[in-house]
Amino acid sequence: MTASHEIETRLRETAERLLGEKKVDLFLGHEKASLPLRTTPLFLTVAADAARLAWNPFCSPNLAVYLPRLFRAPADAREAKTAPPRPTVGVVLKGCDARSVVALIQEHQLPRDKLVLVGIACPGMVDARKAERVLGLHEALGAGEDAHGNIRAVVEDGTEVTLRREQVLADVCLECRAPTPSICDIVLGAAVEPREAHVARRQAEELESRPADARWAHFQQMMSKCIRCNACRQACPMCYCKDCLLDQTRPRWVGAGTDFSDVAIYHLARAFHMAGRCTACGACARACPMGLDVRLLVRKLNLEVEDLYGYRPGEAVDATPPLSAFAMDDPQEFLTEP
Amino acid sequence: MTEKRIPQTDLDRLLARLRQRAAVYAPAEDGTGEVVLAALSGKESVTLEYRNFRLSPKALVLPQNQTLLCFKDGQAEEPRLPEGETILFGVRPCDARALLALDQVFLNGNPHDPYYARLRSGATVITLACARPMSSCFCTSVGGGPGDGTGADVLAVALAEDLLLRAETSKGEALLASLADLLSDATPAAVKEAQEQVRAAEDPMTPVKVDGSAERLRQAYDSPLWEAASRKCLGCGTCSFLCPTCHCFDITDEVRGGAGRRVRTWDCCAYPLFTLHASGHNPRPTPKERWRQRIMHKFRYAVENFDRLFCVGCGRCIRHCPASLDLRTVLKEVGA
Amino acid sequence: MSQTQIVPEAAAPRTWEPKVVAFLCNWCSYAGADLAGVSRIQYPPNIRIIRVPCSGRINPVFLLRALQSGADAVLVSGCHPGDCHYISGNLAARRKFTLFRDLLKYVGIEPERVQFTWVSASEGGRFASVVEKVVEQARKLGPNTKLVKRA
Repeated sequence: MTASHEIETRLRETAERLLGEKKVDLFLGHEKASLPLRTTPLFLTVAADAARLAWNPFCSPNLAVYLPRLFRAPADAREAKTAPPRPTVGVVLKGCDARSVVALIQEHQLPRDKLVLVGIACPGMVDARKAERVLGLHEALGAGEDAHGNIRAVVEDGTEVTLRREQVLADVCLECRAPTPSICDIVLGAAVEPREAHVARRQAEELESRPADARWAHFQQMMSKCIRCNACRQACPMCYCKDCLLDQTRPRWVGAGTDFSDVAIYHLARAFHMAGRCTACGACARACPMGLDVRLLVRKLNLEVEDLYGYRPGEAVDATPPLSAFAMDDPQEFLTEP
Repeated sequence: MTEKRIPQTDLDRLLARLRQRAAVYAPAEDGTGEVVLAALSGKESVTLEYRNFRLSPKALVLPQNQTLLCFKDGQAEEPRLPEGETILFGVRPCDARALLALDQVFLNGNPHDPYYARLRSGATVITLACARPMSSCFCTSVGGGPGDGTGADVLAVALAEDLLLRAETSKGEALLASLADLLSDATPAAVKEAQEQVRAAEDPMTPVKVDGSAERLRQAYDSPLWEAASRKCLGCGTCSFLCPTCHCFDITDEVRGGAGRRVRTWDCCAYPLFTLHASGHNPRPTPKERWRQRIMHKFRYAVENFDRLFCVGCGRCIRHCPASLDLRTVLKEVGA
Repeated sequence: MSQTQIVPEAAAPRTWEPKVVAFLCNWCSYAGADLAGVSRIQYPPNIRIIRVPCSGRINPVFLLRALQSGADAVLVSGCHPGDCHYISGNLAARRKFTLFRDLLKYVGIEPERVQFTWVSASEGGRFASVVEKVVEQARKLGPNTKLVKRA
């Protein structure tokens, strides 16, 4: 029995108990999807359904994105009169999901006392598209984890193909420095070693070493396929604004089309709004239908925030996000002196 | 219409000849390991080894970003209609059928859309039949098939060494006639092989029950299944943007001073703001109403209005949904 | 209908002059610019001024929008740290500006296209010098082609 399988069994028991004892009204987890190499979010309300819960290398979705809407304040007094009481919600969290929950609690989007957090230290999740690329023209009709933690896929002619885990883990997982949830009420499974810090830096440093025009060309090339679907924003747990600045029409800050100028501003603006808030969960890159490197900009911004202000989003609920604070001795190298 | 054939080794010659008369789009690797329907400049490595493109060919008749007209000092210029002829080579049968759904909306509707009409009439579609559908494909359940020539001007089937070509329209016939020196007649054996290939491709597809979907959906309008099914929807727009029949759009003016242009861009009914009224009221306020509307539009309203399903079974929405929603699951629940 | 900014194709000017958009905080920098005017201190006319209550009000999207609309450079000016009319607006802005400038540099947009300074209400001369410097640097960089949106 693999470690995942053991955790899965305990997860089902935990969820069944929480729902059965009415400790939670709703339990969020993952279940098998209709296509292999993926899971789909599961909203459980009945204890007996806990058997549907899955824990495996395909549990990539960041469930934190579904939480704010469960606790959204009523729009007005009339709605408040008929609104149901706020639920107590149980949710399975990997390291990245937990960071998102911490950041959401910091921003008052989630009430800590209405959450029961089941934390599982995550060894990394499979990027379905990466795996499919490795399989080439073969299609996986089924996939699972073998005893060594690699992925065994069964393709259409019945043959089994083993995909090395490191080959198909999501990019964001390969850089993960906090796989163990920073916040949780119940812990399942053992701790997992974080990746080394320099891995995350490597890509940003490499790009920075190129001259300005080469960097712009790279940015253009990376973003040229963007179709402005907004999937990156919708998938991001930290993008919970009811009315996004980038959708606003009076005034219209950025056009809706695929002119590169609009594409660039959309991504620059959204990345900037993530400064000090992005928890590096990779939901944006996973959601992008065009396979863009959506994290291109936030990867750098997260490092900047860490270097300048010693802050990594999602570590501690009582920490103050850097852009909500200032220090008298903040560097001001950006200034122009006449 | 006789089947013609050309050896696959002559494909580059064929495409080069096509490029003399129109802008040609063909399947080519884009440098990241993915095969896309690329505008050919002659330097691409064209390949027939692909399942389907991520982006559907609808982008070529209904661009994501289209200038409708320009204006200055209170006067609008004549609408700029798109120009040029295109040849789309390698479109899959599902995507070619989808063009007919778009025709229903933009050509047969009122008003008739001149921008779409121009791009559509300027396009010649050469469909390439599928030999290996994916597990997310279900074209046979929605009236199509891996060897269906509906919507194509020419239907091509790739055999082991040859490419078989058959004209489906008079436009296709004229095209093949212009290439007569490159083509020869297909042998009856080759034609039979093509038919068997198509039949073999139809077999593995899991059927999805859509007969009577319009009526069943009408009865299921208030069912609790919509709430349960839609809870995981992120409203990300991936399904609509990749879907070959989705066609909703937004029109905005981009102005500076006294001059500007009117632009059409793709929109998506899954977006929370899609039906937001100026008053602040939103008739589809939660994912439940929006997901229900998506299914209703494709499997009920389109049938009631146009006697046609607005889903061609390409499976892109299933394969690319970040939350792995699968509309086949919903259809099954409705059918139960 | 909604609006966004684009630059229509116009006849190319004979000699190009940089366009600089300046966001000045009402209490210090705008007053400083005013003082420069009253004192008849000359500074380049390339600058277009937008008055905001505080440098802390600046959303970097404004700066991006200015560049998209055809500005060749953008200047943001506020009160000196410690002198903000709203106590800490400019202090909050410092972190934003640092990160924003680093972000633009990272994608290859020249840092001289987005500049920041502190100018007090009594520093008319300093304002003029800053404008001169920013305009000169913009002139050397040439027209902004990277973010601008053309018709």
